[in-house]
Order: sequence, then C-alpha cells, then structure tokens
Amino acid sequence: MFGYIVRRLFVMIPTLLAISAISFFIIQLPPGDFLTTLINEQLSRGEGADMGNIERLRQLYGLDRPLIEQYFIWLGNALRGDFGYSFEYELPVTTVVGDRMFLTVVLTFATTLFIWIVAFPIGIYAATHQYSAGDYALTFIGFLGFAVPNFLLGLVLMYLFNVWFGTDIGGLMDREYIDQPMSWAKFVSVLEHLLTPVIVIGTAGTAAMIRRLRANLLDELQKQYYITALAKGLPRRRALLKYPLRSALNPFIADIGSILPDLISGATIVSVVLNLQTTGPLLLSALQSQDMFLAGSFLLWLALLTVIGVLISDLLLAMLDPRIRLGGGAVK
Amino acid sequence: MGVGVMKLGKPAAFVAALMMIWGGGTTAQTYGEAPMLAEQVAAGTLPPVEERLPDTPAMIEPLSVGEYGGQIEWLAGRARDIRIMNVYGYARLVGYDAELNLVADILESYEVEGGRIFTFHLRPGLRWSDGEPLTTEAFRYEWFDVQLNEDLRPYGPDFRLLVEGELPQVEIIDDYTVRYSWSQPNPRLIPALAGARPLYLYAPGHYLQQYHQDYADPDTLQAAVESAEVQDWTVLHLRRGNLYAATNPELPVLQPWVNITAPPSERFQFVRNPYYHRVDDQGRQLPFIDRVYVNISDSSLIAAQTGTGGSDLQARHIRIDDYAFLSQGAETNEYYIDLWDTVLGSEIALYPNLTAADPVWRDLMRDVRFRRALSLAVYRDEINEIIYFGLGRISNNTVVPSSPFWTQELATEWTQYDIDRANDLLDEIGLTEYEDGVRLLPDGRPLEIVVETAGERGQEVDALQLIADSWSRIGVGLFINNSQRDVFRNRIFSGETNMSVWFGLDNGLITPSTVPTELAPVDQNWLQYPAWGQYWQAAAGAGEAPDLPWAEELVDLYREWLVTYDDDRKVEIVSRMLEIHAEQVTSIGLIQSIPQPIVVANRLHNVPVEAVYSWDPGAHFGRYRTDTFWVDQ
Repeated sequence: MFGYIVRRLFVMIPTLLAISAISFFIIQLPPGDFLTTLINEQLSRGEGADMGNIERLRQLYGLDRPLIEQYFIWLGNALRGDFGYSFEYELPVTTVVGDRMFLTVVLTFATTLFIWIVAFPIGIYAATHQYSAGDYALTFIGFLGFAVPNFLLGLVLMYLFNVWFGTDIGGLMDREYIDQPMSWAKFVSVLEHLLTPVIVIGTAGTAAMIRRLRANLLDELQKQYYITALAKGLPRRRALLKYPLRSALNPFIADIGSILPDLISGATIVSVVLNLQTTGPLLLSALQSQDMFLAGSFLLWLALLTVIGVLISDLLLAMLDPRIRLGGGAVK
Repeated sequence: MGVGVMKLGKPAAFVAALMMIWGGGTTAQTYGEAPMLAEQVAAGTLPPVEERLPDTPAMIEPLSVGEYGGQIEWLAGRARDIRIMNVYGYARLVGYDAELNLVADILESYEVEGGRIFTFHLRPGLRWSDGEPLTTEAFRYEWFDVQLNEDLRPYGPDFRLLVEGELPQVEIIDDYTVRYSWSQPNPRLIPALAGARPLYLYAPGHYLQQYHQDYADPDTLQAAVESAEVQDWTVLHLRRGNLYAATNPELPVLQPWVNITAPPSERFQFVRNPYYHRVDDQGRQLPFIDRVYVNISDSSLIAAQTGTGGSDLQARHIRIDDYAFLSQGAETNEYYIDLWDTVLGSEIALYPNLTAADPVWRDLMRDVRFRRALSLAVYRDEINEIIYFGLGRISNNTVVPSSPFWTQELATEWTQYDIDRANDLLDEIGLTEYEDGVRLLPDGRPLEIVVETAGERGQEVDALQLIADSWSRIGVGLFINNSQRDVFRNRIFSGETNMSVWFGLDNGLITPSTVPTELAPVDQNWLQYPAWGQYWQAAAGAGEAPDLPWAEELVDLYREWLVTYDDDRKVEIVSRMLEIHAEQVTSIGLIQSIPQPIVVANRLHNVPVEAVYSWDPGAHFGRYRTDTFWVDQ
C-alpha cells in the first residue's frame, strides 16, 4: 500500500509538469497579450494609448521575453509559492483567489451532498421497482434534469425565486454581507442564495448518478448470492442494504475524485450566469483577457487537484471494496 | 515647499487671453454640510465646514434643491470598473458642464495665451480628501518627480504633454499658480484635462513620497515593496498613486466620493469626501448623497439584476434591446427609465479599405462612384425598423444633431435608397459584365465583397444580411467573415481586408474644442485608410502617403487645425473636413442615435430626463453633476 502511494505520487510530477507547460502555451496561443487587450480598450474609447506606459508595463510583466523564459520564471516562482501577479486585478494571484476559494468549497460540498441525498434513495427505488410506473416517472424526471441546459435552468429558477421569495438575482449572499464577518444572518443569507445554484448544478449530476446506481444495482440484484440470500429467508431490505448496495456504491466513491478539480472549474457557466463569487468565473475571465499568471496558476492547481482527487478515490475504493487490488498485477 | 519657487509678476496684457471663472464667489460666507459630517464636527474629529472648503468654492446650481444623506448602488461588469466612479464624480481641473462649455472646476481660473502658454490658478484653501491642502506642490511633484523620473517613466512623459516631441516648460509661480508653456500651440491639453479619463497634472506628493525612491527611507521602502509582492518601488508607486483606478483606499483624492474598500471585493463602498470643493447655490457643500456602493457583477447579468431592482442608477451594460424587460419591472421595483441620446457617428458603419493590398479591389474602392453606389443601395429604413425597432435615425457616419457642426446634408448625403442610380453609377465605372447576376471585376473575378467583422456584435451580422439582400439588386455580392478583434485589426492594417464593419465615429459630438483626429487619415485604427494612418504615425517609412486629393486636403486641414489659434478658422476647418467625408463617402454609415436606456430609482432626483450619454466629452453622468443627485430620506 505504502509503496503504491509513493509510486503514484512520483508519477504525478511529470504529469503536472507536462500539463502546466501545455496549459501555459495554450493560454498564449491567441494573438496578442493582456496589454493588447488594454490598448484595444483605450482605443475603443477614442483615447490615444499611452504607448510609453504600455511598453513599460510589458517590461515589468516580462511580456517582452521569449515564451519559454516566461514559463520557467513563472514555474520557478510557483514552486516557491509565488504564483505571480494578476494583471487585471493588479494584485497577487493568491490574494485574488483567496476569498473565493472558501465559497467554492461550500458550494461544491453542498452540491455533492445534494446529489447524494437525492440520488441515493431514488436510485435504489428505481432499481428495485424496475419498469414500474414509479421507475418510469423518476427516469423521465431524471432525464429531463440531465437534458435541460444548466444555465437555462439557472436563469429560470433565479427569476422565479426573485418573483416568489424576493431573493436577489445572482450572488451567493445579500449585498450587505459582502466582506462582512460571518454571522448568523450572513449564514442564513448564504443558505438562501445557495439553493438555486445547488439545485441547478445538482440536477444534471443527480440524474447521472441515479442512472449509474440503478444500472449497477440491477446487475447485482440478478446475481446468485442475492437470490440465494432471499431464498434462505433473509428479509428483503436487509439483504439489499447489506450486500448488493455496497457493491453498487462504487460510482459514489469514484465521484470523489472529480469533486476536487470541481472546486476550481466546477460549473463555470452556471456560476457566470448566476454571478456566484466562486473561482469558475474568475478562471474564465482570466482566460479571456489573457491574464496569464492568474489563468496559468488556476490550471496548475486544477491539474494538481485532479491527480490528487483520482488518487484519493482509488485508495478509498480499494479500502471499501476488497475485490479491487491496488496496482493490478504488480502487487499480489 | 521643498523646491525653489519662482515668483513672477502677471503679464500686463495677454495677446489672446481666455478667462473663465466658475462661481467666482458665493456671497454668503456660511456654508451648509451633511448631517453625517456635522456629527463628526460636533465630536471634534473633523474641522468645521468653513475650514474644509476652499476660500471660494465652486458653485453649482442643482436641478432641484437637494436633501443630504442616503445611499445609492450601481452595478459594474468587473472589478476594474470601480474607476468609473471617478468618471461619474467628474471633479477635474477643467471640466465640461451640461452644455459642454469648458469651465474651471478644481482650478479657480485659467488663462491660455496664444494656445501655447497655460496659466492655472488653484483655489486657495482647497484640500485633498485627507485634509492636506492642495497647492502647486502637487503639480511640481507630478511633473518633476513622476513624469520626468526615468525610473517611473523610462519612455518619457505622457504623450498628451508633448507637442511634436517637445516637453513643456513648467514654472511654479507661487503656491497657487502654475504655468505650462510650449513653443507651439497645444490644443489637446485642455480637452485632456476635461477628459472622462483625464490627464492628471497633479499627484498627492505628501502621501506618495513614502513610495518614491528620492524621498523614502530605503529600508522602509524595500519592506513596503516586499510586503506588496511587487517587483520594485516604481510598480508600487504606480499602483498606490493611480488617481483614476480608485483601487487604493489610502490615496488622497479630490473626487466627491472616496473608495474605502480595499480590493479584491464584490462590493465597493464610496463615502463622501468631507473636503470636496463644490457647493450648491445655497452654499451647501456637495455631494448630497452619503454613500455610493458599486457592486461587481457580470456584464451579461446586469440587465436582469437592474430589472429586478438591483441598481439605483444604471446605464452601463444595458441596451435598448433590454427596454421591454426593464419596463416590466419598473413599477414593482420602483424605478423609471429615461432614454438618452447617444453620440456614435453611426451605430454600425462599413469601411471600404482604400489602402487594400489587392490592386484591383483597391482601385475600385478608391473610386468615389463605387462607394456612393454602395451607400445608395443600402435600405436603411429597413435596417432601422428590423434591428432597432425604428428608434434610430438614418444618417451617414458623421456628427450627431447635438453637435454645432451638424447639418441635414452631412447626415443624409448619399443615404437615400436608390437602386437605379446605384446601378447607373456602377455601369458608368464600366462594371458591366455579369455572371450569375453578379457583376465582374475588371480582371474577371466576381464582384463579391467579403465584409469582415470583429465577431463581437450580433447586430452587425443582422445588418449585413439585410445589406446583402439589397446589394444583390445592384449585382454586388456580400459575404460575412466573422473574426476575432486582434486578427480583425491586423488584417485591416496589412491591407488583406477589403471591407470591414465596426462602430462609426467614436465621438459624433464634435465641439469646437474637439481635436479632429478622427476626421483625418492620421491613425491606422481608422479602418478606411489604415496605411495612410501608419504613414502619419510612424517615424520612418511605414505605410503610404495619402495620394488622393481629398485625403491630402484632410491631412493639410488637420495640420493647420493643430497650429491655428483662431477659433473661427478652426470651425471652418472642421466643417470642411466633415463635408469631405460626406461627399466622398469615406465610410458607409447606417443608423445614428440609438437611445441609451438609463434606469433611475424613483427615490433618486436631479438625474436629467433628456440628456446625452457620451464618454468624452461628457463622462457619462459626469457632466450632469452626480454630486447634485439626491435621494428621498
């Protein structure tokens, strides 16, 4: 087990380096750089661009150096925990991301919890009552949730909540609580505003989870051990919960791997539409304006969290399901 | 003051002097102040209002008598746009008033001699928002310690301070008088001071010295640089001293409201400046409103948020398309919508590239008959009805009616829809061969114009599709190529693009003080003749010299305008330039004056109903004096 973890960690390093290099170069692919965005903005307002000042900024940000050099400077600093400067915000990257990280964590966990709580009973019901009216009805709703574009559902819900409950459009809390210390009122406000995004982001995930749980459970329900258990007189509920359900749980665990990267890029479009103060919209705008250190740092963390997330879910699966062996044939 | 101060007598007579004093003195020497500040005065934490105001405050007559207090909120599309508060606040050395006259504001008065010697008189007693007096020391610091500092500005001072490369001579005459002079006229200077994003001639040196190498203790400065995680002191000075950005809550300013929220945040609070220099006609210190909140949202969501009561004063990121939605929410959310005039020369304009690389296309584009034919074959009424609900006005790409230069002829020459005449013109050029209903170019290729767009505005494509229909009736094909802004520009600059579509003139509100840069081929960003613009801009050899008589005339007129100090002649020059553009159809304008919806909360007063929404000159709400806006208590 220990050897396995060490080997996995070791393999991460080249993976991360490759990902960071590729993403850094992709950010630079579109013509121009952040300063061209700045120049365009001044020109489109009919103000002449102060080219002397722009040239100076180009030097300060190191944008006049070759791309390879820019990459290694950035990477070297990143390894020491200095992720560079955001041009757009004129602040260190870590400061810009700071607060948003907490709200993103809250949102991601609330959404995951929502998916589990809703998908779990429905999935079991649909599998044990296959082809019943209830199964069809729930399947229909599930597919509907899966097929309706998130952002559209977001807009509709946001509008309805505004009309029905007077909840502000967009945001994760009422305005007066922004930048205020945590309090009970602020907490309630956050909860109220979390409802829309959690439902919106959750529906698609829930539908997919229901389908997977149902399919896995159906497989197990036809297996001999379960039929034998029933034949020997084990109560149906107990037989179901004790054996087939446990094997059908794998997709829930495997999902943990994708939760971590979701912290950064999760539901970007929904967050933009709902104007959530999470990291997704920040990443998007950084990419659009070629704010490259901010975007590059995001993508690096994204890669890091993905590989760590996958590792964690692999380990958890191995712990919970004795049939899974770490490293396949290598460890016996 | 730390440096040598020159004492100069005032010249006895000016060759040509312009003197403007705004609200030279309110007779009443007792001033009113906001209850919020009166409390602080009573508590002893703030000096009384008489000591906070300059000896002669700037006086403004509000539309109605205001009440002190309250707060408003508006929505910005991104965090950087909090700087728009400094546009709305619009305290400038010299600024435009609602009628677009230039008037002294932070300055008590100013004089211009021969268009080249500018003498500025400060208001004694005027103070920064931290209570320090504003004297010519602030101008000295900005010029000698910032603009001329080789570390801070290795590429030299701001280009608006240069006249053909010549630096001004800056004289600090006394504590309240400063003079900038050049050997040639500098017509850009005063409009630059009054700009929406102005040229700052002053800086709060008393605060910024702690970040300046020449003044600060090296160790303290180094520590500050490190804690701010910036490269060196120049970056720190740049960031902490940016008077326009409004990102540094510690920076002393002269605006009506001061930002007290340090970024990053989603909600910025601007609080009234207790030392603000303007009063209303009853001698009550402005602004009326205590606090302005700027909420950071997403530009695509702002219309929805505004329509559900999320903003008390909103114009940014809402458009005429949102009007129906906004009207629905007006009653429940207690706001109303004004429609303000806009100033783009044309909402959409087509630019034939007169310096295109392809010789056949280039010759054709340069033929004025061809451009006139294309303009005649655009059915503008249809475009106005279909895309703009009939709210726009058919016009060339030219000045707007609120400009003193506007004439009916400038607006409508060659804009009547006349297919027969267009066909006659094309026949006259000799484009008489057809293939599949499309005329052929002299070298046998079909006359199919690829119009390139920057790919940012759907309405451009909608309009082009309508134009394609009507152009097909004169045997001209039109194809649309959506691009991306940088690619779009670069292809035009290099002459690969034959025709492009973009906004019309940025500023159709040309006044006698406007520098007519947009009307002459002097910038490669003017999309109908980029190579001529490069020729003017570049030091050596780039681009091409204008070689059509009317283009040469435009350049000559522009050059003359820059060195003329005769207002009547200047007006003549600009009128002639506009005439040339209309006659020569240098661009094909479609529709003008698409109204800008302005959402105003019912409880907010003094926002004018009929007004013009313009960036520069105008500063959006700025010239309507947001400091006189007030809310019901």
